[in-house]
Amino acid sequence: MTDIQNGNGLAAAEKFYAQYGSRARELKASGKKVIGYLSALGPVEIMTAAGVLPIRLKGNVSEAVTKGDAYMETIVCPFVRNVFDAAVKGKYDFLDGMVLPHQCDSIDRTNETWSYTLNLPYWHFLNLPHVADDPSIAFTQEILRIFVRSLEKYTGNKITDEAIAKAVAAHNQNRKLMRDLYDLRKSNPPLISGVEMMKVCVAAMSLPVEESSALIESVIKEVKGRAPAAGDPAAKRIMIIGDQIDDIAVIEAIESTGAYLVMDDLSTGSKMYWQDVDATPDPLRGIAERYMRKLKIPTTFIGSAPTYQGILEERFGHMKNYVQDFKVDGVILFIYKYCDPYGFEVPAIKSYVEAAGAPVLYLEDEYSTSSLARIKTRIEAFLEMIA
Amino acid sequence: MAEEKKGRAVATSTAASIPKFVRGNLSATLKAKEEGKKVAAAFIADGQDEIMRAMDIVPAWGESFSGVCAAKRDAEKYLQKAESDNFSRSLCTYATCNIGFDMMREELGHAPEGAPWGGMARPDMMLGNGQLLCDPRFKWPQATQHYQQDVPVFVTNMYYPPWDPSGDHHEVEALYVKYAKEELHETVKFCEKITGKKMDWDRLAATVELSDKTWDLFIDTYELRKHHPTPMDTGDAMNTMVPLTFNLGTQEAYDFYVSLKAELEQKIKDGVGVANPEKYRVIWAAGLPSWFALGDFQYFNGKGVVFPVEVTYRGCEKVERLDLPKTNDPLEHIAWRWVRYWTHWYDAAKKRPGSTPKVERIIEYIEDYDCDGAVFHSAFSCRSWHAGIMQQAATLKKVYKDIPILIMEGDIVDISSYNEADTHNRIDAFIETLAAYKAKKG
Amino acid sequence: MDYFAGVDIGSTMTKVVIVSGRIESSLIGPTGPEHRKLANRVMEEALGQARLSFDDLTYIVATGYGRINVPFADRQITEITCHAKGLQSLLPSVKTVIDVGGQDSKGIKILNGKVMNFVMNDKCAAGTGRFLEIIADSLGVPLDKIGEISLTAEKIAPVSSTCTVFAEAEIISRLATGEPIANLIAGIHDAVATRIASMVKKLNVEPDIAVTGGGAKNIGLVKALGSKFGRELLVPPEPLITGALGAALMGKDIYEKYAAEGQKPTRIGKKLEEATFFK
Repeated sequence: MTDIQNGNGLAAAEKFYAQYGSRARELKASGKKVIGYLSALGPVEIMTAAGVLPIRLKGNVSEAVTKGDAYMETIVCPFVRNVFDAAVKGKYDFLDGMVLPHQCDSIDRTNETWSYTLNLPYWHFLNLPHVADDPSIAFTQEILRIFVRSLEKYTGNKITDEAIAKAVAAHNQNRKLMRDLYDLRKSNPPLISGVEMMKVCVAAMSLPVEESSALIESVIKEVKGRAPAAGDPAAKRIMIIGDQIDDIAVIEAIESTGAYLVMDDLSTGSKMYWQDVDATPDPLRGIAERYMRKLKIPTTFIGSAPTYQGILEERFGHMKNYVQDFKVDGVILFIYKYCDPYGFEVPAIKSYVEAAGAPVLYLEDEYSTSSLARIKTRIEAFLEMIA
Repeated sequence: MAEEKKGRAVATSTAASIPKFVRGNLSATLKAKEEGKKVAAAFIADGQDEIMRAMDIVPAWGESFSGVCAAKRDAEKYLQKAESDNFSRSLCTYATCNIGFDMMREELGHAPEGAPWGGMARPDMMLGNGQLLCDPRFKWPQATQHYQQDVPVFVTNMYYPPWDPSGDHHEVEALYVKYAKEELHETVKFCEKITGKKMDWDRLAATVELSDKTWDLFIDTYELRKHHPTPMDTGDAMNTMVPLTFNLGTQEAYDFYVSLKAELEQKIKDGVGVANPEKYRVIWAAGLPSWFALGDFQYFNGKGVVFPVEVTYRGCEKVERLDLPKTNDPLEHIAWRWVRYWTHWYDAAKKRPGSTPKVERIIEYIEDYDCDGAVFHSAFSCRSWHAGIMQQAATLKKVYKDIPILIMEGDIVDISSYNEADTHNRIDAFIETLAAYKAKKG
Repeated sequence: MDYFAGVDIGSTMTKVVIVSGRIESSLIGPTGPEHRKLANRVMEEALGQARLSFDDLTYIVATGYGRINVPFADRQITEITCHAKGLQSLLPSVKTVIDVGGQDSKGIKILNGKVMNFVMNDKCAAGTGRFLEIIADSLGVPLDKIGEISLTAEKIAPVSSTCTVFAEAEIISRLATGEPIANLIAGIHDAVATRIASMVKKLNVEPDIAVTGGGAKNIGLVKALGSKFGRELLVPPEPLITGALGAALMGKDIYEKYAAEGQKPTRIGKKLEEATFFK
């Protein structure tokens, strides 16, 4: 915490990144309840309002899945397997419970495997729908209400609408600060590197919202204040699109070639921070709308526009904006093997982004550094190609 | 699906009429246009059957088509076509086989040469479904639209309460029924838009009544398989499921089970079983079969092992057991039936600590059909049906008796994952454990 | 006179090419596990062949699997870029390159010596030379004869397993039931060609199409690939050196680009020492 106070935001981020969950352990020791969640669908506002610490679960790309295989099929998404394996190995032994949102088959079909094997005091499967039409928004509100009640039951405390509204404001503020930090990547060279940014994003998702905001503010101050790097005018500006990338390995593979990673469309990055929750009379309505309509993820079906081009804009328009706003020269589409939601979208994303003016490198990989050398060759060849 | 290289003989003559059903479903899509009907690409067990049938919408069942390609061992070229536009080989092969076919049909302007039974027609719409079953059911039509950009896609979200050992699903039932009903209404609105016709609600009500009757008849028929020796096993059921799965809401589907029931009753009277002698009875506890390797059931039968019951493709229950509230609204009835079917085994699971509804269903069948073992099949491209099988098997072992369990691995469509010698070896080893278990059971 | 060297350290073979205005020398030697440390020997031999000393070299580019472990190289460039460059200098009409190596295979779209798009398979043996090697080994047929034999087949006996391990078992059992060996060998060539072609077809394939790498020396494979694209494929005179040639030419390009601005590129300034995989 003192790192943040002393203006060493990057050092603090580094610490929370490298020792993931360390702050959660500290808070747990002081009596706070800690709830882990998967994916960008985890409604952090509700958990914050409940007075628990929400921590976004991640695995470890340098760790091979071993113990988890005794319980969970190897055809499951490699990211889900890795996080489960970490939990089985005790890396998350500070958790009081988990909430798994119904994002995809790999999560909802293994819900029992998780809950029965880990046997935590609190468990909730958040049954969010796959579509966002009006009946689904109303349904989502009810699902969120059920979640609120389950947290009330577990904590023994009432969660008022006021508390939720307050949490919504705090998380919106957190998002705004992160967007301000992202803005510093628009310059050439960006004021903060992709590697540094990944550490900040990962650190942020493990801290209570006020501490996360303080960390981001501290980082903004630090990077604005430091002497700008020389920069190579020929260096390519890259954006990475994917789901949960939460390690610097791939980022380093990109930036070690001299390119800059200036933007992302990742579920650990911009997807967490780009849309705010509207303040609504029933605060759960605003939350439902943000997570089901504003957040663009492959597991929420979007297709209401009257033309196909319109549908593509609805689904991927934000990627075009990123390419333009962050002056992106090339895009890396980094998808995990065994991922149906992203896998089925690859041809559409690739053709849309290429039409938006950025060449796309599609990489399919495991959630692991074991094939990093092969990935690096492809990234290098891509950068040589767009040079 | 009954026609594949091994020449698997079906035990029932009624099942021999299945290729006609399958072929009829494919050709119905090809004839639809000249008959003035709309074609909808659709997916099974999604609660949309009655809506389509009541509006004379011809379903183009992608899963049937892929199953046919797989059974004929002719899916590879379609899988490769899909792969050529960056669809990963690890995706659902039902989907990629169809998408590859659709891509070719789009490029050629007609079905590619050699398409099994003439292939399927280009649809006028695609009806997807986002439910607790399977992500490809909404990703697949969405992905196809990239190649058929003028074909509208609608996704109905049919949900049911998730299993929670510490909760009570009855408390949230009404919420889910309301949601399902609203989603079905949206589906009707979409279909009305595409067909240009209004829903005939009386016809829908009659269709729903017929599908209820078909559900009941299906279960009555299948419960005849409790008999020793069993007159029909899973090898046949992978065929006889076709009318319930692909033709629900039609008179032909109902009539099929009338014939099947009569045939099974006759077999029981004549003492004719699938295997003679019938040494071991095994439940097919989960998983879609390898459509190109249905001959494996005959391999089992040849060793005296029969499957009197399966969970797969038994997507119904006797309506009276579901205890559905009375309603005049056919969509509400479908919604109640949907929610109550999918939560049917929750109460049993609550009564047995450590259990899960899926396992309770398996236990119910093991007891009712007197089974000595359980086989699960894990298909690598299908997370939807096969993630969680290890947990089911482990839970079954924990909460029930120590019965022999075999988990087979392969795929539904992609034959390159299959090795016949290896599979037969594993089956042989399993049969030895069945022998040991039965001897102990006495 | 300026001399440019390209060093291509593949997983099985190390290749060196030295160019000036023409190819001065080219050499191929085994990388091998024990020889990893001695890849510089190939460089020494190439220099000897060209009657040059190490100090005569103006710029050195390393490529291939082991490119990061060539301490005396001034630049590392991927084999994708280098194969494209080398191939086009040998066969200017080529727009699509298929590189079949021992451990991987690639498809590259090129235009004026530059890479426009590429695909790679380096995870699965079934689409590489390794597949053929394993089967040849289990059938007891010399690897360098396997292509010829495939051309003598009466028909292609299709191999349905695309997994190398399963295919091996499948072939042995088919042989036992009397399938002529030539037909089976034709079958595995067809299987590899099919896998490679389906990967390459992700590119917008345009003629002329060339095959390079070790696989290009297999006439059976080249023919099988040709049948997948419905045309005859071009093969450079020595397929193994296109990467090293391309690397040398890239070095020449880099040097000339700097020279055009009256500058020289930075050199790494290291002596010829052991290229090693151990830093």
